[in-house]
Amino acid sequence: MILYVLRRLLAAIPTLLAVLTLVFVIVRIVPGDPAIAILGDRATPDAVAALRAKLGLDQPLWAQYASFLGHSLSGDFGRSMVTGRPILSDVGAVLPHTIDLTLASLVVGCVIGVPVGIWAALHRNRAIDYAARLLSLIGLSFPVFVSGIFVLLVFALHWRLFPVIGNAKLDDPLDRLDKLVLPASTLGLVMAAYITRVTRSAMLAVLGEDYIRTARAKGVPWRRVVWRHGLRNAAMPVVTVVGLYIGILIGNSVLTEIVFNRPGLGKIIVGALNQRDYTMLQGLMVIYCFLIVVVNLVTDLTYGLIDPRVKQ
Amino acid sequence: MTLRAALLATSLAVAALLAPGGAHAQAPKTALTVGIAAQDVGQLDPHFAVSTIDRIVAAWMFNGLVRFPPGSNDPAKLEPDLAESWESSPDGRTWTFHLRHGVQWQGGLGEVTADDVVFSLKKAGDSKTSAFASELRPVQAIEAVDPYTVRIVLKENVPNLLGIVTNYAQGFIVPKKAVEAKGDDFKRNPIGSGPFAFVSVTPNQSLELRANDAYFRGAPKIKTISYRFIPSDASRDLAFQNGEIDLNYGRADQSWVNRTKALPHTIVDIFEPAEEAQLHLNTTVKPFDDIRVRQAVAYAINRPELVRWRGKDVSREAQSVVPRGYLGFTADNGLVGNDVAKAKALLKEAGYPDGLTVKMIQSQLPEMLTAAQVIQAQLKKAGINLDLQVVEHATFHQQIRQDLSPMVYYSAARFPIADVTLTQFFHSRSIVKTPTAVTNFSHCNVADKEIDAARVETDRTKQLALWAEAQKKIIANVCAVPMFETLLVFARHDDLDYGYKLEGSLSLGPQITEATHFK
Repeated sequence: MILYVLRRLLAAIPTLLAVLTLVFVIVRIVPGDPAIAILGDRATPDAVAALRAKLGLDQPLWAQYASFLGHSLSGDFGRSMVTGRPILSDVGAVLPHTIDLTLASLVVGCVIGVPVGIWAALHRNRAIDYAARLLSLIGLSFPVFVSGIFVLLVFALHWRLFPVIGNAKLDDPLDRLDKLVLPASTLGLVMAAYITRVTRSAMLAVLGEDYIRTARAKGVPWRRVVWRHGLRNAAMPVVTVVGLYIGILIGNSVLTEIVFNRPGLGKIIVGALNQRDYTMLQGLMVIYCFLIVVVNLVTDLTYGLIDPRVKQ
Repeated sequence: MTLRAALLATSLAVAALLAPGGAHAQAPKTALTVGIAAQDVGQLDPHFAVSTIDRIVAAWMFNGLVRFPPGSNDPAKLEPDLAESWESSPDGRTWTFHLRHGVQWQGGLGEVTADDVVFSLKKAGDSKTSAFASELRPVQAIEAVDPYTVRIVLKENVPNLLGIVTNYAQGFIVPKKAVEAKGDDFKRNPIGSGPFAFVSVTPNQSLELRANDAYFRGAPKIKTISYRFIPSDASRDLAFQNGEIDLNYGRADQSWVNRTKALPHTIVDIFEPAEEAQLHLNTTVKPFDDIRVRQAVAYAINRPELVRWRGKDVSREAQSVVPRGYLGFTADNGLVGNDVAKAKALLKEAGYPDGLTVKMIQSQLPEMLTAAQVIQAQLKKAGINLDLQVVEHATFHQQIRQDLSPMVYYSAARFPIADVTLTQFFHSRSIVKTPTAVTNFSHCNVADKEIDAARVETDRTKQLALWAEAQKKIIANVCAVPMFETLLVFARHDDLDYGYKLEGSLSLGPQITEATHFK
């Protein structure tokens, strides 16, 4: 197992290097000058030139790349070009919020999606199945900026159960929970819709297998057949979807963050892109990529736990 | 009520039941929460504060030598701020400012002195340490005569020296000691002399301020300000309705104004300065190198229709290339009205009997894009097909400065003196892609003589005549077509009293002063 983990971590190094290079190139290919973004529309060319020199943007591209690579590999992501704040401290300030939202959505998604998916598969083409499929379709069809506003209108404005502004105090667990309920439920329900559909189709495929029929013929109780023989074999595609979805949630929950006014990685990435904050974008992409590598690693390890053949 | 608040309320209710005695009178609220449409704050060094979010908060922390009275943006009403009096030499080239005694920097940094003023204005005039360096170009020397006296010597006369040293952009005074000691960190941890002092920024969330109880005009009644970054308009509005924010950055949109005005206990403030939207036509490239095509565009624009679309409360027709209310503005300038038949005839005369297609690079920002689409529809009636090339906002700013768009839709507010707008948008020195470029997208150069002469003219009547002549020439040459002006909009709960009547604010948001309070 340790060798397996090490192998996976080593395989991540070229991925990270490729991402570093791609990010460096892409942020410079995109038109838009950070100096103009910082100095505003009245800045004269000499002021723009002075700021570009200060930010190191007047250096040849290879020199900028070498400096960026050297600093990144030593764990120094530098400071935001716009605010001057250390990138790691900005990321550190929002990462707990992102992790909170990701994990809570994951819990909501799995707790609802897996049982409903199994239930729908066991009642194929009956009312329960149709209802589950319809609900999951509805869940997938509503973008967060619609469902989020609806949820805020009902639970924050009408019933006043939760706040609209979702930026919680990190040192206050009750406050964090209070401000997590609505966004995690909104995002978790979308995730549940995905998981329901994948679980249902995986279970349907597995329940038709010979070993299931054999287990039933041997007199194994139905509940045990479903949970032990059925679900375990159907879990692989579900874990894959969950793993992929976590990756998406970490950086792409920007709409949820904006609607519920939560800080998060997605929101910082969009802000940095708008302001052409090269250093911030580079740092964020590296951190994001690292998180994705970790999530993929955990997903792969989970495969190993579910199916011992994967480890071989 | 939030989960936390529900628990707290229950505990308090139980405590109240158990406690002897009755209820106590509620103390007035002293914590102000402001919702602003932004992801994060940018530059807190006031000499780099260019975005709306940064400018609003800089004005709460810093002072100038003189200031606009709270609630006004009229340069004729400038009043003492850090300087208690001033005088100028008969030729208007030497100005002497006498500072107030005893004004303290926040955080126990000591007294505001002439050294701080000299340091600040020199910093503001250096393009390495300021985004507004060009504003101080006419200044030849700044010196401290004694700890409470500053002398400014000009190379040439300027329309309004006081406008340069007011509580706006380059005019903010910063503490020399703190800037030198903190270096680049000053823009993250600023120190001013204003009514509110910086406490902290939580990235992506909020900026916190506390009252400067040693403020020279008296301790502010508001004790803390939480400046919340809420980019989603819908979420900000919901938070305002829910009572989570007291002061809300509004939208210059009539339906938003109507809807918000209808909310209970809500006041919508609509105030100056207005941003004027103009179409700048590059007079040096086809098809706009032909004045008849430019005139056709001017006749095709229907200003009353644009105002009806934008909203009667939040916008008004532009009447010149200088916004209304600016010193030097004149409506007597020969600006033509909407006449589609005449526009078509001019196009035919110019060799475009079947109309023509014109490219315009346009920002994807919804407010700008929808305006461009309305203009597109108006031009279409005259036979001008506007090919909108929509790009992301930062790309738009870069590409229009690279002279890539023969027609540029630009909306801006400037210091309310005609010289600033005329110089930055219509003087040949400001033509884009030149070493001294600012925002002259039209390559206009027909009024250089008048603009330059007006800047140094000491006789106000003659100066106004020169500015009027410049506007006539620019409009006759159709360097740009003025369209509409959009005012600033904020909403507040009616228990928040600014302590003054809000008619204008050059910081683009309400001033929170020592007198601002909750009723």
